[in-house]
Amino acid sequence: MSTTEAARAPKPPNLSKPPKLSGRPSTFNAVSLSIAVVLVTLVSLPLLKVLADLFIKDGALTLDPILNTLAIPDLWKMIGDTLLVVLASSLLAVVIGFAVAWANERTDARFGLLNDVLPYLPFLLPPVAGAVGWTMLLSPNAGLLNAWIRGGLGLFGVQLESGPFDINSWYGLIMVYTFYAVPYVYMNVSAAMQSMDSSLEEASRLSGASYFTTLRRVTLPALAPSLGAGFLLCTWFGFGMFSIAAIIGTPAHIDMIAVRIVKLLTFSYPPQEDLAIGLSAIVMLFVGVSYYVQFRILKNSRFSSIGGKSSARNITRLGPWRPVVRGAVMLYVFVSTILPMVGLFLVALNGYWTPKIKWDSLSLTAFRTALVEDSQTREAFANSITLGVAGGLIGIVAAAMVSLYVARRRNAFTQGLDAAIKLPASISHMVIAVGILLLLGREPFNLGGTWLILLLGYLALYLPQASIASDAAVAVVGRELDEASKVSGGNDWKTFFRVYIPLMTPGLVGGWALLFIRIVGDLTASAILSGTSNVVLGFRIMEVFNGGSYATLAALSAFLVLVTGTVLVAVLWISKRFGISKSRIG
Amino acid sequence: MDHSLSIRQLTKHFRRRDGAVVAAIDDANLEVEPGEFVVLLGPSGCGKTTLLRSVAGLETPDSGSIHVNGTPVFDGGRGTCVSPERRNLSMMFQSYALWPHMTAEQNVRYPLENRKTDRLGRPAMKDKVAAALSMVGIGELGAQYPAQLSGGQQQRVALARALVNDSTVVLFDEPLSNVDAKVREQLRIELLATQRRLGFTALFVTHDQAEAMELATRIAVLDRGKVQQIGTPTEVYARPATEYVAKFIGNTNQITGRQHGAGEGFETELGTLHAAPGAPACTAANLLWRPEKGQLSRERPVGRNALPGRIVASLFLGTHTEYLVRSGEVRSRIWTSGPDRFVQDEDVWIGINPEDIMVFPAGDAAVTEPDAVRVGA
Repeated sequence: MSTTEAARAPKPPNLSKPPKLSGRPSTFNAVSLSIAVVLVTLVSLPLLKVLADLFIKDGALTLDPILNTLAIPDLWKMIGDTLLVVLASSLLAVVIGFAVAWANERTDARFGLLNDVLPYLPFLLPPVAGAVGWTMLLSPNAGLLNAWIRGGLGLFGVQLESGPFDINSWYGLIMVYTFYAVPYVYMNVSAAMQSMDSSLEEASRLSGASYFTTLRRVTLPALAPSLGAGFLLCTWFGFGMFSIAAIIGTPAHIDMIAVRIVKLLTFSYPPQEDLAIGLSAIVMLFVGVSYYVQFRILKNSRFSSIGGKSSARNITRLGPWRPVVRGAVMLYVFVSTILPMVGLFLVALNGYWTPKIKWDSLSLTAFRTALVEDSQTREAFANSITLGVAGGLIGIVAAAMVSLYVARRRNAFTQGLDAAIKLPASISHMVIAVGILLLLGREPFNLGGTWLILLLGYLALYLPQASIASDAAVAVVGRELDEASKVSGGNDWKTFFRVYIPLMTPGLVGGWALLFIRIVGDLTASAILSGTSNVVLGFRIMEVFNGGSYATLAALSAFLVLVTGTVLVAVLWISKRFGISKSRIG
Repeated sequence: MDHSLSIRQLTKHFRRRDGAVVAAIDDANLEVEPGEFVVLLGPSGCGKTTLLRSVAGLETPDSGSIHVNGTPVFDGGRGTCVSPERRNLSMMFQSYALWPHMTAEQNVRYPLENRKTDRLGRPAMKDKVAAALSMVGIGELGAQYPAQLSGGQQQRVALARALVNDSTVVLFDEPLSNVDAKVREQLRIELLATQRRLGFTALFVTHDQAEAMELATRIAVLDRGKVQQIGTPTEVYARPATEYVAKFIGNTNQITGRQHGAGEGFETELGTLHAAPGAPACTAANLLWRPEKGQLSRERPVGRNALPGRIVASLFLGTHTEYLVRSGEVRSRIWTSGPDRFVQDEDVWIGINPEDIMVFPAGDAAVTEPDAVRVGA
């Protein structure tokens, strides 16, 4: 024993600073916690600011903002219009999202590509570009799709001067809202379908219920929570959506609250802040009500979690209907995603917005005019890319440290922290952006018109997405990998850089890309926080829409799609190519 | 000389989801001498892994103390709790916990990079890593990533990583439970040889009693957070301290009996049974004996203890034959390797030597329930 003793002389642990029993503060944890606090402040202060300004003006309690808001002459029409569009599109999205998810998860009409495409629609085609694309397609006179349909009808002797469709209408607006709302439902429902235990349904069938009785009595109730969550997300999305409402709704004289808020803040002088605050409060109220309703529904029914991770799911054989269902799903994806892009690119390449496409003389002239020769656009483009790269990087790294901090110590405090970061921005992008402007754009910060206020605004708006992405990335790394590093003598920083960062990289790169695309394609924060001194791409598109050539508008939007699409495809490719899916992680 | 490892009055509670507080470790005491191979044995949920993780610093106990090589790493009274990376221990995990983005070599080198004192230069590290890898028999696989290695090879990398830093104390959390039986047997033999050669102190968690018997210089049997008995494999098998230990290690037959005075025989439904002198005196007792200690015969045996019975079933198992014998309400399993063969429904006698009767007070034989769910885990 004595020889081995000598060879393996015990090295006494360093006890110079005996750490406290609980907490065990390390610089790493201190930094993580500080970042978390900063992020929480960033997302919650703007909301609180809006709430405070609702009742306090110049240091005194007042009801003026509320009274003034209630005195807006067309307030009730505006609320009615907004509710109609949001609720109708959310309901449609639930129906379509469920149908597509069912076809893709539970029938033999499924095809894997759908999972890769559908959830990414808002990223592939930012709403502002999508709205422009649909305008190019379905404007009553010059709309390309309309012209093609007219040509087709002409073969049957039906002559139309314009139409048959008009994008600047109720159904046009609701349709485009629905396209962008469907991914929320689809993602929720297909995930629930994947984890649902087929034996629930099999038991129903064996109890003598028909396929459709089973669907109605067993499948739908089991999926109700995810359908509800999808609906809730759709309404949140709808209330906060600005670009589609502005581009398609405004020409149709459909008044959406989000558009009015931006008008009050940026297009009126002096800005009518009290009205904007009052309208923001109405948005928050609606979001709160829809949250409460969903909460009550879920609470009052006996929804339990859906089985465990089940084995094979039973796949319905559609027989002769298979090509029909598959065709319908593909048609939906084509119409919602590809068609508006076709519209954008055709108009941009054609150089003029006319139904008569000169196929032999398509050129990049419009792109050159829009992008190269216009100094404002060049600047906007540079600003957007810089903000996207930097904001994405800052957002994802900060979110990663907080995710790790929360995952390592699950308790009431950290979970509160997590919720505080994720919740506020889900309430309404529009309201957060208003809060940021009120908070930082005025005295004493005076950040209005700077790139910093845009950066902070983007971060506040898109943190939940960064946070969800980094949560997933952290969850990939098993607990024992962390512990093995500790036991091997690695401190928190070393463990973070040597174990967590390399393993989380694919997930973090994906998270960064989503942030980048959101920021570059953003119009919500940009419409409120951007101006001529800090112009960004989304804002520039709005400017051109309000008073520029349609070819330029199409070229700008098409270029935006090119940028976001390239980044998205590159990241998807990288994560598939260099992903660590092949190896086993703890 | 200091103990390699000294655990005193260690206690840790978990809160169950329903709010109940459950002791995962309940006043555990354990002293391990340098070079010992101590196995923590118990069913799942008995607190053995929590105890091991507390030694590693991955769990923080509520009270008590842990000393490694005489140095306190945890002391609830003084508020000392050294973080895991400064305890200078090594640990081998159940899942191996190899970092998938590092090669075998990089995995093994990692602990060396983290040394606070007498850091090695690059060439010295390289030599040490190569030596560790070839010691576990995979010297040629250093450049491979974990995903390119078989389960057994991954395990060897994990072992090399645990040993490379010359830690005096190495912890093992069921490291052999994830490979198939043949590889496990081989690794067990190698692990034991390596430990004997290097002389480190091993604390090894398992629920497999065969593994415990084979590896341990001493076994600590745990139940519901309490250390029930610490002893050599022979001691815990032949002289279990509690009925729980007797039943958990090996097989037992059981009959209840009443004793009227110290030193007297126990009245059972099948007649009087005598234990060896020195057995504990108790009015109501559970009398246990091992299947291989019963002798079957057709004639009543001459010894003091003989139970009549009838053969219910027999099962030839190669090395021995197992007979199921019914005596009234009592069923016993008896293993014999003698030449006699008994057939079903044959009337037999079971002879048991008094020294093979294990006596435990009745009413102390609760079975371990699965442990509380770890909060938030």
